[in-house]
Amino acid sequence: MTETLTGIDMSVRAPEDRFRARKVSTEVEARPLSAALPPPGRLNPAARKAYYFYLMAPAIALLAFISLYPFFWLIVMAFQKGDMGAVEWVGFKNFIDLASDDRFLSGWVLLFRYSAMCLFLQVSIGVLLAVVVNGSRYERFLVTALLMPMMMAPAVAGLLWLFLYNGTFGWYHWIFHSLGLLGSGSILSSAKTAMYAIVLVDVWQWTPLITLIALAGLKRVPRDQIEANMVDGASPFRNFFAIVLPNLYPVLLIAVLLRFMDNFRFIDHILVLTGGGPANATKILPVYLFEVAFKFFDLGRGAAIALVLLVVTIILGKILVGVFDRPTAGGR
Amino acid sequence: MATVTIRNVWKYYGQTPAVKDLNVTCPDGSFVSILGPSGCGKSSTMRMIAGLEHISAGDILFDNQRINDLAPKDRDVAMVFENYALYPHKTVFENIANPLRLRGTADATIKERVTGAARLLEIAHLLERRPHELSGGQKQRVAIGRAIVREPKLFLFDEPIAHLDAKLRAHMRGEIKHLQRNLGTTMIYVTHDQLEALSMADFIAVMHDGELQQWGTPSEIFNKPVNAWVAGFVGEPAMNFLTCDLKRRGDDVVLSHHNFDIPLLPGQVRQLNGAAQAGIARMGVRPDAMTVSMTKPSEAAIQGEIFVNELLGGDMLVEVQLADSRIRVKTTPEFEGKPGEICYLTVNRDKWHVFDAGDGHAYF
Ligand SMILES: Nc1ncnc2c1ncn2[C@@H]1O[C@H](COP(=O)(O)OP(=O)(O)O)[C@@H](O)[C@H]1O
Ligand SMILES: [Mg+2]
Repeated sequence: MTETLTGIDMSVRAPEDRFRARKVSTEVEARPLSAALPPPGRLNPAARKAYYFYLMAPAIALLAFISLYPFFWLIVMAFQKGDMGAVEWVGFKNFIDLASDDRFLSGWVLLFRYSAMCLFLQVSIGVLLAVVVNGSRYERFLVTALLMPMMMAPAVAGLLWLFLYNGTFGWYHWIFHSLGLLGSGSILSSAKTAMYAIVLVDVWQWTPLITLIALAGLKRVPRDQIEANMVDGASPFRNFFAIVLPNLYPVLLIAVLLRFMDNFRFIDHILVLTGGGPANATKILPVYLFEVAFKFFDLGRGAAIALVLLVVTIILGKILVGVFDRPTAGGR
Repeated sequence: MATVTIRNVWKYYGQTPAVKDLNVTCPDGSFVSILGPSGCGKSSTMRMIAGLEHISAGDILFDNQRINDLAPKDRDVAMVFENYALYPHKTVFENIANPLRLRGTADATIKERVTGAARLLEIAHLLERRPHELSGGQKQRVAIGRAIVREPKLFLFDEPIAHLDAKLRAHMRGEIKHLQRNLGTTMIYVTHDQLEALSMADFIAVMHDGELQQWGTPSEIFNKPVNAWVAGFVGEPAMNFLTCDLKRRGDDVVLSHHNFDIPLLPGQVRQLNGAAQAGIARMGVRPDAMTVSMTKPSEAAIQGEIFVNELLGGDMLVEVQLADSRIRVKTTPEFEGKPGEICYLTVNRDKWHVFDAGDGHAYF
C-alpha cells in the first residue's frame, strides 16, 4: 500500500487504515468520501448486459413458447379462412364480416351490460364489506371465510349454482317462487332473469377479492386525515366520502381493472349455467367467441373476434387508468 | 371561548395507563401549555379533549358542560396535528376552508375568511397549491389556518412546530403567541420543548409518566419547581444536582459535600421540616445561579477543577469537576480559567433548591 493518500487508495483501505489516514491528512478529510470512489458506472463493464440476457434467456424462451407463439398464430389465423387442414388467405374478410354479424354486435351489448352490473355490485358490496370487516373483532375469521368462494374453480362454482337455480329442487328457485318474484319458468330458462343469475354468480365469487383489496387499502388510509376531518366537523358518513374513498381510489383501480378484464375472459360459469341461452340472452361476446371457434370450428373468424376483444380490452384498460389517475384521486 | 376542566381523567391503552388521574383547569382565554417528555401522555390528553380518544375515567368539561360523550364534530374545537394532517387531494384553499364547508357556510363568507386567515399567516400566495408542493413551515401555517378560520371554543395545538428548523421555530413561537392573544381563544398547546412552554404559555402543566407534576405560571415552574424531576426538566442548560448531607452546626443547618460546606439561609432552615434536618438531601442549583472565580472568595464556596470551557455565543459554560460529579456554571466569555486549574463557585443561595433524597419533592 502506498503512503501517498490519493483518493483511490482510500476506497480500498481497511477501515482502521482509513481512520488513521484521516488523522494524518487534513487534505483528504476535507473531501467527502464519495468523491474518492470511482463512479459506480465504471465498475460495470459492458459485458454485464449480455450476462443479464443469458440469465433471463430461459425465462424468455419459455414465455415465447407458451405465450408469444400462440399470440402470433392468433394474428395469422385472423387473416385466414381456417378450416382444419386447408388454409386460405382471405385478408380482412373475417373482420369485415363481423360488422354485419348480429350475434357479434349483440354480444358486445350483453358483455357491457354484464360487466357493468358485475363491477358496480362487486365494488359497492366489496367496499361496504371491507368497511364492516375492517377493525372488527372477528376480522381474521371473516377474511378467511371470505376467501372461500374465490378458492373454488369457476366451473365448480357454476355447477354449485346450477343446483341452487334448479327448477325442481333449487333453493333459490324455491325462495324466489315463494316470494312471487318468478313467473312459471325457472330462473335460468327465462330470458329476463338468466342474465341476473349469471351476474349473481360472478358477484358471489369475486366480491371477496374486491373486499380483500379494499381492506388492504383501508389499512393505509391515513388516520390523521380522518381525525383532522372529524375535528373539522365531519360526520362519519361525510368522512368516508371525503377522506376514505379518495384514498381508496388507487387500490380500487387495480381491483376494477382486474375484474373487468376477468369479465372479458372468464366464462366458465356461464357455459355451465346457460351456455349463452336462453335465446342468446346471456351470449356475451366471449361466449360467442367460444362457440364460433370451438363449436363451429370457424377458427379464422374466432381469431378475428378474439383480436378485436383484445384491442378493446387494452383501450378500455387505458381509459380506466386515466380516469382513476387524476391528480385529485388520493395519493401523495 | 371556554374554560376547560379536566377532572380525575385516566387513559388506559389495554392494561397500560397513559394518563393517570389528571386534574387541570384552563381558565377562559388562557394559553396553557402541556409540557413533558415524549411518551408522557400529552397527546393522549389532547386527543381525549378533542374526542378522538375514549376517556377511560373521569370527566372533561367545557364551561361546566360535560363533553365526554360528544362526538368530535360537536365539541367545537380546532386542532393542529403534530404531522399537520393536511388533505393531500385538496388545495390549500380547500384545506383551510374545510371546517367552514362542513358547517355549510356560504361561499362568500368562506372566501372572505380563508383569504383573511391566509393573509394573517402570510400564505395568501399559496392558496391554489396542493400540500405536497409546500415546505414544512408552509404546511404548518396551512394547518394553523385551518384551525383559526372559524372561531372555535378551544384551540388544541399538538407539537405544531416540533418539526421545523430552529430559526423558523423561534419565529413561529412569537407568531402563535401573538395570534392567540389577538383572538383571545383558550389554547392548549402541547410541547416537549421547555423553552416553547416557558416563552409562550400563561400556565404550564408539567407531565411525567402520565402524571401531572406541577401546574403554574412559567416563572413558578422555573423558579419554584415542586420536585427534582420538574427542576431537571425545565431550564437549559439543565440544573445541577449534587447529593449532600444536611448537618446541624450550632443554630445553622449546613449542606455538606466533599467539596464544600454551605449553610442554608435562616428562612430555608424553617422550610425544612424537622425530620429532614439531618440526613441525605439533593441540592439543585442552576448554572446561572452561581458565579465562578479563580480566587478564593470570602464566603463559603465550592472548590473544584475546571474540566472544560464551552463558548456558547454570548455566554461561557464552564464544566467543573468535583469529587463525585461535574457541575456546570454559566459565566461571561471573558472568564480566563483554563482546564485543569482550580476554581471557586459561589452559590446564590436565594436561588438554590434542596430536594428530598427519597421522593424528590422540593423543600424550597
Ligand atoms: N393507540 C395507542 N395504543 C397503545 N398505546 C398508546 C397509544 N397511543 C399512545 N400510547 C402510549 O401511551 C403513552 C403516551 O403516549 P402519548 O400520549 O402519545 O405521549 P406524548 O404525546 O406525550 O409523546 C406512550 O407510552 C404510548 O406508547
Ligand atoms: Mg405526542
